[in-house]
Amino acid sequence: MSMVRRQARWLLAAAAALLVVAACGGASTSSSGTTTFKGTKKLGLSIAITGQSAIYGHAISQSVKLAVDDVNSKGGVAGYKIEADILDDATDVNKAVENTKQLILQDNVSVLIGQVTSAQCQATSPIAKQNKVILIAATCNSYQLTNEPDLINPYYVSVVPNTYMEGTSAGSLVGKLPNVKKIFIVSPRYLFGISETNAFVASLKKVNPSAQIVNPESTWYVPFPTNPRWDSTINAIQSYKPDLVYSNIFAADQQNFIKQALQVDPDFFKKYPMTTLSSVDDLNGLGSQYPLGMHLYMRAPFFALGNPRLDAFIKSYHDRYNEYPSDWAVMDYDAVQTWAKAGNAAGSLDPDKVLKQIVGKSFASLRGYNFTIRAGDQQANVGETVGTTSDSAGKYPFPILKDITNLKGDDILMPTTLMNELRAGKCEKDNNPTTTDFALCPSWKA
Amino acid sequence: MNPAQLLLFAIGGLSIAAYLFIVAAGLSLVFGALRVINMAHGSLYMIAAFVTVVVAEKLGAGLGFWTGLLVAVAVTGAVGALIEIFVLRRVYREEHLVQLLGTYALTLVIAGGVRLIFGSNYRTMRPPALFSGSLKMAGYSYSVYSFFMIGAAILIAVGVYLMLYRTALGRNIRAAVSDSDLLSASGIDVARLFTTVFVIGAGLAALGGVIVAPSQAVGLQMDTDILVLAFAISVIGGLGSILGSLVGSVLVGEVISFGLNSQYTNQFALAFVFIIMVGVLTIRPWGLFGAAEQ
Repeated sequence: MSMVRRQARWLLAAAAALLVVAACGGASTSSSGTTTFKGTKKLGLSIAITGQSAIYGHAISQSVKLAVDDVNSKGGVAGYKIEADILDDATDVNKAVENTKQLILQDNVSVLIGQVTSAQCQATSPIAKQNKVILIAATCNSYQLTNEPDLINPYYVSVVPNTYMEGTSAGSLVGKLPNVKKIFIVSPRYLFGISETNAFVASLKKVNPSAQIVNPESTWYVPFPTNPRWDSTINAIQSYKPDLVYSNIFAADQQNFIKQALQVDPDFFKKYPMTTLSSVDDLNGLGSQYPLGMHLYMRAPFFALGNPRLDAFIKSYHDRYNEYPSDWAVMDYDAVQTWAKAGNAAGSLDPDKVLKQIVGKSFASLRGYNFTIRAGDQQANVGETVGTTSDSAGKYPFPILKDITNLKGDDILMPTTLMNELRAGKCEKDNNPTTTDFALCPSWKA
Repeated sequence: MNPAQLLLFAIGGLSIAAYLFIVAAGLSLVFGALRVINMAHGSLYMIAAFVTVVVAEKLGAGLGFWTGLLVAVAVTGAVGALIEIFVLRRVYREEHLVQLLGTYALTLVIAGGVRLIFGSNYRTMRPPALFSGSLKMAGYSYSVYSFFMIGAAILIAVGVYLMLYRTALGRNIRAAVSDSDLLSASGIDVARLFTTVFVIGAGLAALGGVIVAPSQAVGLQMDTDILVLAFAISVIGGLGSILGSLVGSVLVGEVISFGLNSQYTNQFALAFVFIIMVGVLTIRPWGLFGAAEQ
């Protein structure tokens, strides 16, 4: 009898413990396999479904929906089902601000995923900071967003290679190319373009001091967003006859520029080889019209990063959307998974607790490696892919890269000394933080 | 700047002016006759560009372009007729603000529809073989397609002029611009005339969309991009004046081309367009070739 009583007590205690766990802990899964959540929390995304960067926002919104579904199928985050709250910002800064306020103040989102352009993230980061909402950037990438003293936001995390990483890599690669002395620059006139171009030039001059930028600095930048006709730039390139064109124009601008340049001269990019930022979306947008032999640097091209986890993602993405995932899709999927893993480790959606599980921690990336979010600028040591456009031999409806080099995040990450100098305001003109430029840092000059 | 560069930038400006004129002429024609500022004009331009690309994808660049031209003008004209009959007829007697809101709402509806039908991705097509390749002049290469755009704009300008000044329809349109009530009293079916004018305006937007499709990425932002410049041109040239649209387009095209090429004006090139617009509005509010409202 006492044995039966003892067993009954154990059973009661076990049942009570289960109840407590169910009430306080994670989601529970019933015997039928369905997951029971504590409730629903929102993940906010203000993104360019329309406007200049619509091509990117389209992929990002699809990827975030897929990532959220994957997270929910594995029990959600800290016991909550996650719902993607997606608003269109039309690639407009003011609209991004309006959306971010709505997402935080009205929709009570638990986390924000960053916008496409750095100008938008520059405007929305202070709102996230003021309201203590974690903002994970997977597309906007100016290093000023994480290092300029007046922009520093402890709730801002970057899982995309920043403009320092991209610009200096491109500058270093171009600087080492034989027979490239005269370079023409074309870039969008806003934070990202200026930041990346300055990084490119600073690195180029260090690697190859004799390299000459042939067009005056005031003509490097073109109106952004969207410059529908590129006659002037094309004409100027013909006029200067550079050995190489360096560009970080993207989306509709890159497509218009390439199309119009090829109409002026089908051999335009053979005469004036171009090194440019690109993405799967840009390749896919122009398809067979994308010139072969272009030297590209890309953030996460799926065809160059093969690994089992990415392969499964490509299949899942393609099955659902009948499209190939762009670089943005890969990185934004990583962004959602990073937050989800940290939230589950924290057992909470409290931003400070989640942040403790992000900074200094490592996360598995679809890109085939683990990245770590370092303390300080909270930048992930993610890599960059460089290569030359080549025919995909019918495998994809767009060119891919050959002669691929996957640069390692640790090799291109901004040195800690430089990061600390930037954040301490030692790399500015007249103590004006808006002039923050790593090329002004004492350690860079040295 | 040497003469060869001058020619280079001037032709670049004309190729910008070409497609801007075609679209602005439609906007101006509709305003002149119907007294409606059609915010959905850019949407019609976008529909035509998407239709052309889709037809070209099916039939190839050569046949696809010409077939696309016919299909796009027909589809856009039909959409234009529906807009005029079901929306604009209800707001003709309302204030301009109500008309603006009505046509703005249409831009949102059409943008959503285009996204649903054609998707969010950019589309692209090649120019027909006849207009591919380049010409070499004074040491520079020029796109043959740019000359095609300029030629098409000139043809369209002549066509619109002949239609307005050499046909009975044109006479009625000009009469409607002067006094639509008097025209109605003389037995002309003004409602039908207005539908016809709006369809012609939509057709011009469509021609602009078709012509631009092989040289630009066709995407969802096209509607607003073109509308801003077309509106500026119409204001500079004078809303309702086709000649004004022509002069305004050339002015805007050349300002953009030369402005972007000078290191001193590069960052203000687009701003100059709006500075000119403000200047014209200040000195001559009805535009360079427009007529002051009585």
